[in-house]
Amino acid sequence: MLFFRSEELLNEWLLSKNAGPGALFTIPQLWELSQRWYQDRMSPGFHGRTMEQVQDIFNEMGLTDGFWQL
Amino acid sequence: MDENKLWDIRAFVYEHFAETTRAPRADEVASRFARSQEEAGSAYEELHQRHALFLKPDTHEILMANPFSGVETPFKVSANERTYFANCAWDSLGIPAALHSDAEIEAACAQSGDLIRLNVTNEQVQGSDALVHFLIPFREWYDDLSST
Repeated sequence: MLFFRSEELLNEWLLSKNAGPGALFTIPQLWELSQRWYQDRMSPGFHGRTMEQVQDIFNEMGLTDGFWQL
Repeated sequence: MDENKLWDIRAFVYEHFAETTRAPRADEVASRFARSQEEAGSAYEELHQRHALFLKPDTHEILMANPFSGVETPFKVSANERTYFANCAWDSLGIPAALHSDAEIEAACAQSGDLIRLNVTNEQVQGSDALVHFLIPFREWYDDLSST
């Protein structure tokens, strides 16, 4: 996952890589995802997630299009 | 190795990253848990298989224990008076999220090279209208984790 200063610069990069559109986040959106994803990572009780739990996080974030389907 | 010990080792790896900014070597795990270095290496391999951490190919050296990177990267995170390296743009925010700490993040725009600086203070992020791009869907991440 990479940072881009603007959508224009991202589009230049995608063209140069001949890459598909992928998914785009603003910093506040990514921070929300980071908190949901990593908030319990330091806990000794964290033993990973099932695919269902991962899908639940994406759904809770409104990430429901094909890109986020497992 | 029994299941509880395996997860104890995983917890130790994360604690070690948080305290020192670097991954523990297999011999440090062996010493901490009174095991042979071979057993520690096998535990690393098992945790790698379970996607709990990721090893450099054909070694017992940790490349990633997300959000932490075992090697220097362009995603630099200052938190708790230490400097960590993250694996990617997402993980650069993942470090303060995992540590529940304030942080200063320095990285670069992948196209222009312009500096991108973010601040996390009191669990709020500030400082940039930058964007973060995900190229590969999650379902394909583990095919080649370094390309996501």
